Amino acid sequence: MRNRVREQRTLREMSQAELAAALGVSRQTVISIEGGRYLPSLPLAFAIARFFGLTVDKMFDPDEEEAGT
Amino acid sequence: MTAFIRPRLRKPLRIALAGTVFAAAWAFRGGGAWQLSVAMEVTVLVGAVTTYVRAGEDNDEGALTGSRADERQKLLSLRSRALGWNFAMVAAFIGVTAGVAVKAAWWWPFLVILAVTGFAYLLGLSNYGVAEEGTADDVDTGHQTRSRSTPDRA
Repeated sequence: MRNRVREQRTLREMSQAELAAALGVSRQTVISIEGGRYLPSLPLAFAIARFFGLTVDKMFDPDEEEAGT
Repeated sequence: MTAFIRPRLRKPLRIALAGTVFAAAWAFRGGGAWQLSVAMEVTVLVGAVTTYVRAGEDNDEGALTGSRADERQKLLSLRSRALGWNFAMVAAFIGVTAGVAVKAAWWWPFLVILAVTGFAYLLGLSNYGVAEEGTADDVDTGHQTRSRSTPDRA
């Protein structure tokens, strides 16, 4: 699962700590999500998408292989 | 119940309380055990203070210790607890098997641990909704099936 969290965050010139505070999670969790090591829960995924003014499917792109299933 | 206690203080207080009760048990035992009890209490208090300091650190361990973990950190903790539970069950099974094999008198505490962990697992399945699957939604698909089986008039 690829996501655009890092891209959107850097576009807004935000630090990981600032994004974490805005989402109510830890900085380590933002790092893990950006690195693709952690898939957020549905509520958090919606919160992230809403924060950046995007839809969840724009924010999180399933891999081509997963999309085909 | 612990809502009135600051999150950072909760785990250190739990450690201090549990450690103090255990140290008191040694003191209650009598004899020369009171010296061990005092040493134990000092160690527990040092441990509680160390836990309080670590709870202030900006990392996953600090968040868990400071009772301010987010969903990922709670998941980490849950997985670690599950691993610990698996190890306890395997160790208890080995203990009870070895105890029975050598005709030892100490086999039954292992059986108790095995039974408690097994019961806790079943309790978890019950509490977290395995038995609450609800009615299958075949009723809805029935409509779809009927419409498919209806001869096409076009």
